[in-house]
Amino acid sequence: MKKKHTMLSEIWRRFKKNKQAVVGLIVLILFVLVAIFAKQIAPYWYDDQDANRAMIAPCMQYPFGTDNLGRDVLSRLIYGSRYSLSIGFLAVGISVLTGGFLGVIAAYYPKLDNIIMRCMDLFMAIPQMLLAMCIVSALGSSLFNLMLAVGLSSTPKFARVVRASVLATREQEFVEAARAIGASNTRIILHHILPNSISALIVQATLAMAGAIISASALSFLGFGIQAPMPEWGAMLSAGRKYIRTQAYLTVIPGLAIMAVVYALNVVGDGLRDCLDPRLKK
Amino acid sequence: MSDKILEVSDLQIRYVTDEETVRAVNGVSFTLERGESIGLVGETGAGKTTTALGIMGLVPDPPGEIVGGSIVFEGQNLLTLPEKQMREIRGGKISMIFQDPMTSLNPVMTVGAQIAEVVLLHNKITKAEARERAKKMLEQVGIPGSRCDDYPHQFSGGMKQRVMIAIALACSPELLIADEPTTALDVTIQAQVLELMRNLQKEYNTSLVLITHDLGVVAKICDKVAVVYAGEIIESGTLKDIYTDKRHPYTIGLFESLPDIENDAATLKVIQGSVPDPSNLPEGCKFNPRCPYATEACRSGDIKPVKISDTHMVRCNRFSDTEV
Amino acid sequence: MAEILRVEDLKKYFATKKGTLHAVDGVTFSVDAGKTLGIVGESGCGKSTLGRVILHLHERTDGRIVFQGEDISDVSNAKLKELRKDMQIIFQDPYASLNPRMSIGDIIAEPLKIYNLCKTKAEREKKVHEIMDVVGLAERTYSLYPHELDGGRRQRVGIARALILDPKLIVCDEPVSALDVSIQAQILNLMMELQKERNLTYLFITHNLSVVKHISDDITVMYLGQMVEKASSSELFSHQYHPYTKALISAIPLPKYNAPDNQIILKGEITSPINVTKSCRFAPRCIYAKPECFNQEPTLEEVEPGHFVKCHFVREINNL
Repeated sequence: MKKKHTMLSEIWRRFKKNKQAVVGLIVLILFVLVAIFAKQIAPYWYDDQDANRAMIAPCMQYPFGTDNLGRDVLSRLIYGSRYSLSIGFLAVGISVLTGGFLGVIAAYYPKLDNIIMRCMDLFMAIPQMLLAMCIVSALGSSLFNLMLAVGLSSTPKFARVVRASVLATREQEFVEAARAIGASNTRIILHHILPNSISALIVQATLAMAGAIISASALSFLGFGIQAPMPEWGAMLSAGRKYIRTQAYLTVIPGLAIMAVVYALNVVGDGLRDCLDPRLKK
Repeated sequence: MSDKILEVSDLQIRYVTDEETVRAVNGVSFTLERGESIGLVGETGAGKTTTALGIMGLVPDPPGEIVGGSIVFEGQNLLTLPEKQMREIRGGKISMIFQDPMTSLNPVMTVGAQIAEVVLLHNKITKAEARERAKKMLEQVGIPGSRCDDYPHQFSGGMKQRVMIAIALACSPELLIADEPTTALDVTIQAQVLELMRNLQKEYNTSLVLITHDLGVVAKICDKVAVVYAGEIIESGTLKDIYTDKRHPYTIGLFESLPDIENDAATLKVIQGSVPDPSNLPEGCKFNPRCPYATEACRSGDIKPVKISDTHMVRCNRFSDTEV
Repeated sequence: MAEILRVEDLKKYFATKKGTLHAVDGVTFSVDAGKTLGIVGESGCGKSTLGRVILHLHERTDGRIVFQGEDISDVSNAKLKELRKDMQIIFQDPYASLNPRMSIGDIIAEPLKIYNLCKTKAEREKKVHEIMDVVGLAERTYSLYPHELDGGRRQRVGIARALILDPKLIVCDEPVSALDVSIQAQILNLMMELQKERNLTYLFITHNLSVVKHISDDITVMYLGQMVEKASSSELFSHQYHPYTKALISAIPLPKYNAPDNQIILKGEITSPINVTKSCRFAPRCIYAKPECFNQEPTLEEVEPGHFVKCHFVREINNL
């Protein structure tokens, strides 16, 4: 008797085999939980200043120490996870929607293909950081604008990936079959092409999240985006720069946090790529 | 005086993955004399290609494992040979033609270079001599020697298959294994290629193992036939034995389900059910769930091969009832 | 009205870098309702393109298509959608023609959804189960995915999908070529049964001559985009008049012991369908070819009642 395998359970079964990917997934889930329950977990408010307890090295009471304004680094790290993770998800969300939409249109309507892809090429010619900085400078520094900047600067990459995937899927016979039974273009794109192009997209998205977090951190480090006293990890890194010789933990701890999330996202992305593609063939 | 060139005995190959064990070849035995040709006939998943890969030592390992039997070629058991010696045999003494000529040729090498490659690997001659040999081989398969610097994409499917034959025969091998060599070709081109193979086989006295599902092709060029089902040879014999005195219900079913160009039948006779899952084979005779003659005795135990004559073997309890 | 489909001088050309590819070049035939027209030829003859042009999956370059008495050569999108209910297709590759992400039930139900033929989900499911029963698919197959089925069952799904809108005409593009011999027989029997029950008309495209003889009433042989011979099935196999048809039929390896070897081996390879000249396209490979064959294109003429051949010397070659 063969077990019935739905697509999802099959994918999960394959994913489980990759130990690294599973560890990465657990780490991610932990960070997400930390972000969601930040208020409950964090011992202090992230902007709870007290000059008397400034610059205390990591110890029992303050496991990650305190910063120059007496704020608990652990608490700031915990609250900061909200920013980093939301930037990662939402920025990539913006990329996926804009890039994905453009990619589908370019692939499905050959007349628009050239225009769209040349625009994307133009975008890609501008260094991503520079582009993000320009957007933030133009629109002003805020969390949302940071996400927008990072998201839009990754749009070309997604447009390319989605376009390639749609082009490949479009030639498959089941798409022709859909036309033969009277399906409209919209239906074909939504029901037939996109679901089959999604694996490339998912993999690209998880990897892009890692990139987005780093970009956001870099932008905050440079002073764009998040403003004090928001505990965004990149901003914390930047603020800790001055004290790197004496209170190294002020830079190292947020740095490690960024590393951990990025690493987790990378291995999960790799794991997904391995199990989504090649297709479920025997 | 018999000159046995190949003797496969009780070959067993399986593919082991995390989810399941696929028993691809379950005790295949056959012999081949020098200059003879045998057709391994069966449907998809019967284990014919795996058997061929086993002879060539090309079963991917993992997940494939040869778990039993022997393959004796010119007196040597190939399964015990170290890889280095197998490499010398491959292409030199035993050659293989694969099914799909579209993908079996290297698209970035000229056809002349690909033929010369195999010649150089097995002979100590100069590059110039190998090139001459390559040109000669092209002529032999009906392609002008001047095309030896053309690339595969410049040839049609039929011509690509001829190039494959040229590569396979370049070192005058003793044994040629052809895996569905004409399946991907149009019927008129198939006729040309089969004619070519038959002529070359006679000229070089090459033994041939032809793997196919096409009973018409087998009738054209094979001396012997072995019918493969679920990794076993369920019937074997000379061409005449199998085509005029078939005994195994599966063999009978196969022939009867062919649309006959000479007769008109309203409906085709079908074999009920479908080929068993090689990771989950039935008990007893592997054909029993689909067999119109099956009895209780067929559903358990090993079905031993029975010799109907010197040349004709069948693996069936009911073989005397199926005689026409 | 017996005639259900008529095609007049249908042409389909593709523009390529090397020139114009004449995929279908002046095909004319008609089919009566409930009958099967076999369209036979080897690769490059244009038979698959012909089938798709008739269904408007490719747009024709020239010529007329008349379906159920109506000229459908040029149709609006709305009219085309209506038409699709009556003209369906079964594909060759049972692996590629089913969306791997959809369950069997969804695949078969999709046409119903597109045309809003059922008011409730339950009604739709019922219809799907009905048609699954008709084509011989077990009930539990409903929730399975294509990769869990073998070739034969996948092809049944393709047939179910083509049937569910109750079409009048089905273009069958090599529907059994990718299947094992024993499964081929099952599917062919099924198709013939369905034809009788529902008075379906088939355009049966294939390169397999034994299969086409079995299922067709009439057969047309194609070469490089043109029809070279057309006759009833039994007539074609007992008397072939065109040299290409002769070679084609003689090339079929018979699964018989000591079959007589009267094979006609053709010279060379098929010529290119790009930038064709005014000549008989088969001439370069024809053993009977004379100088005129290279300068003048023959016409398709009726040499005997119902038997059409496109060859300058058809009478001489066959002693007619």
